[in-house]
Amino acid sequence: MHTVLSVDAMELLWTIATVLFLYSSLSFLWKAFDCRRNQNCYLVDYVCYKPSDDRKLSTELYSDVIKRNKRLSMPDYKFHLKVVVNFGISEETYGPRSIIEGREESPTLDDCDDEVDDCMYSTLDELFRRTGISSGDVDVLVVNISMFTPDPSLTSRIVNRDKMREDVKTFNLSGMGCSASPIANDLVNNVFKTRKRTLAVVITSESIAPNWYCGTDKSMMLGNSLFRSGGCSFMLTNDPSLKHLAKMSLKCLVRAHSGANDDAYSCAMQKEDTDGRVGFHLSKSLPKVAVRAFTENLQTLAPNVLPVGELALYVIRGLRHRLRRSKETKADAGTAVRVNFKSGVEHFCLHTGGAAVIDAVGSALGLNKYDVEPARMTLHRWGNTSASSLWYVLSYMEAKKRLRRKDRVLMLSFGAGFKCNSYLWEVLRDLEDGGAWEDCIEAYPPNP
Amino acid sequence: MRSVPLPRFLSTVKLGYLNVVNHLLAFPIIPVMVAVLLQVLELGPDELIAHWRSLGIDTIHALCTIFTVVVVATASFMSRPRPVYLVDHACFRPPRTFRVPFATFFEHASFMPFFDEKSVRFQVRILESSGLGEETCLPLANRCIPPCPSMEAACAEARLVIFSAIDELIAKTGLKPRDVDILVVNCSLFSPTPSLSAMIVNKYKMRSNIMSFNLSGMGCSAGLISIDLARSLLQAHPNSYALVVSTEIITPNFYAGNERSMLLPNCLFRMGAAAVLLSNSRREEDRAKYRLLHVVRTHEGADDRAYRCVYEEEDGEDNSGISLSKELMAVAGEALRANITAVGPLVLPVTEHLLFLASLVARRLLGPRGGKPYIPDFKRAFEHLCIHAGGRAVIDELQRSLGLPPALVEASRMTLHRFGNTSSSSLWYELAYIEAKGRMRRGDRVWMIGFGSGFKCNSAVWRCLRTPKAPVDGPWSDCIHRYPVHVPDMVKLL
Repeated sequence: MHTVLSVDAMELLWTIATVLFLYSSLSFLWKAFDCRRNQNCYLVDYVCYKPSDDRKLSTELYSDVIKRNKRLSMPDYKFHLKVVVNFGISEETYGPRSIIEGREESPTLDDCDDEVDDCMYSTLDELFRRTGISSGDVDVLVVNISMFTPDPSLTSRIVNRDKMREDVKTFNLSGMGCSASPIANDLVNNVFKTRKRTLAVVITSESIAPNWYCGTDKSMMLGNSLFRSGGCSFMLTNDPSLKHLAKMSLKCLVRAHSGANDDAYSCAMQKEDTDGRVGFHLSKSLPKVAVRAFTENLQTLAPNVLPVGELALYVIRGLRHRLRRSKETKADAGTAVRVNFKSGVEHFCLHTGGAAVIDAVGSALGLNKYDVEPARMTLHRWGNTSASSLWYVLSYMEAKKRLRRKDRVLMLSFGAGFKCNSYLWEVLRDLEDGGAWEDCIEAYPPNP
Repeated sequence: MRSVPLPRFLSTVKLGYLNVVNHLLAFPIIPVMVAVLLQVLELGPDELIAHWRSLGIDTIHALCTIFTVVVVATASFMSRPRPVYLVDHACFRPPRTFRVPFATFFEHASFMPFFDEKSVRFQVRILESSGLGEETCLPLANRCIPPCPSMEAACAEARLVIFSAIDELIAKTGLKPRDVDILVVNCSLFSPTPSLSAMIVNKYKMRSNIMSFNLSGMGCSAGLISIDLARSLLQAHPNSYALVVSTEIITPNFYAGNERSMLLPNCLFRMGAAAVLLSNSRREEDRAKYRLLHVVRTHEGADDRAYRCVYEEEDGEDNSGISLSKELMAVAGEALRANITAVGPLVLPVTEHLLFLASLVARRLLGPRGGKPYIPDFKRAFEHLCIHAGGRAVIDELQRSLGLPPALVEASRMTLHRFGNTSSSSLWYELAYIEAKGRMRRGDRVWMIGFGSGFKCNSAVWRCLRTPKAPVDGPWSDCIHRYPVHVPDMVKLL
């Protein structure tokens, strides 16, 4: 075929080709822009779990529970009570029904289910009610409960109860300890980078009923004294159209896993005692391990969080410190160089691992009494609720009307493995919900 | 409020034609460009220059256009979703000392103080028609009379199966543990704290900024859930390596009661583990075995019947175990149909898809008068199939409902025979079988289908990038010469 088109026809062809090419370029650019818009991770809302009052575990009730364990001697009872008192928790913390009702040594599967179901269902229902979003709109569902994994998983339980869609992506995380909340967030954040307009719900809690320790090993008795019932459900999205509803936006997430070190791996571990009873062992090297993991996390976190000026100051102070140390003896060298995290962050949600943990972390970050108050008060009111503790601390700040637009909130937690995970949020609007603290925020901080 | 989810039928229509709409631009642009190219080729150089001059484009405009074209094309190329490669995989090879022939199983069951005679006979009858062979393996704790399922024994089993699989993967790929960026572990029925992922990080001294995730309670289809998660993570992080470990730890899950629906797992579940190395690094394109094309997950948990068909509960004597309902086959069939409806548009040739769609529309509009549901010919979309070796009944049901020839389900049947139901790792034993048999060729497509509690049906589609070199080292190396074997409907023991 040797027909050569006329010049007009050729020009028409060129024009059509150019138009189509421009259209593809523009759609590609729009796709790239749209992709970037969907990279954000917004916290739409969160609901902290408030168990019913009949589940309050006062010191007296706790002491009755311990006395039921006939294997314990008098020094063991005293040890238990001393831990509870020194830990800094109040009479208002909650425990599972099976323990309060005397079945702590042999909880049934129903007891474990009831404990977890009550937390998940009540917080989820409230979350859907407050946001006005229905369960059928959820694209990703993540549950993390470290020490209870029935089959079908807890995610399937929620899909069944709330009739979620069949293409919902579910992930049931387990065994990841007290710092699992940032891990669940990390999972969702990564899924967000590959899908547009996605809505995720994360439920974080811990199961105490099947994990009550009935033996005599002191390192495992600590778990009984420290952990209390609690949980949180929160909703995340990368849909820009929901930004107006959202409370906070995720800026940065840092995970540090020191499991390669044998001491770190075994310092917080579920295992059997010499009598074959399973308990959660907390070793004496835990504080040292925590410091190492914390340092590692901060080394990555600091450049992402602090303003350039503060980083430069830190480098200069560090150099001066080294010069001074090389000139003088070790005794005169003075304290280590500290970074002032308050230059980049306004609020600090610290894991409520115990009064000593909060104080140590607060001191390392250069925080004062006002900064650590939310963590201290959460520990007092709710005890150590494991992975969900950060959310109770956040809720305290919100109830106290501390969270203002453009404030930055740092959440920091530790967990078995040994992990130290942190994430930084930016507040999108002034926040004022009372949440789980509504009925008692006026009483905090309590008068000395 | 967001949009109401479409009914399944309309979702199929939407999915099917989404492909067409997404590529709508290709339809006019290709013929136009071809026509332009043909005309340009037919012109001589002088005519070409004359035409060019007549268009009145000066040098600057021309250079700008060329520059824009190059920039957009490069950016377009660079921003494509990164391919996910399967570099290699390895499975746990149980030592012969762990094997539990039928006679051993029967003898041990007879000696268990908590089983009544009826339960012993029931378990043996299940075993006789299960499709399992005489070489399947149970961990040491389960071979004690009575079993001693301590946490320490469970951890020991975990260390044995998981570390063996990972060591073999390291030997095959030369992987350095410190190069692993992502670690996903799934084990349904055993989840200590710290997690199994932390146990692996500790043993292999992995980096502190590793992204590790430990999934639990997600059933036999969790292996593909882990692959899905690893894929999402790889797509968000370029030049990364992901280690996925799938296993089921048998030790803590022995059922010590007499409820029939809960005795089945004792008969079917056996030791196994698989370790898979995925990467999106372009360096690995040269040696990777497979490329991941699609992962499709379907969750039928909203339906109560589906949710309850595989369920952990306590019997009347407070013994806990997994109860398998009589409706399991029907539920599995429905879950599979739902999954196929989502997978079909992604993999079927256009003709099969149109026929399937037409059948769906006809049945929707005309009801049962619209004719029998058209079952797409999946042989045209895949060369190999790996169906979770849940049990003989599951494989039979799938073979029947998909109209599959015996050759396509051979890998599943032989894996069930040699290794038993190893839960989420069974798909990898099946893939290893196909490779060991020398049937895998470059370009072949593999469809993996996993079922599990929830009730979930998950699919993954792979394309083979290079023909595996024979002899293939793997869990079948010492016995592939004996396979395939004829698996009788019933192996009479009693």
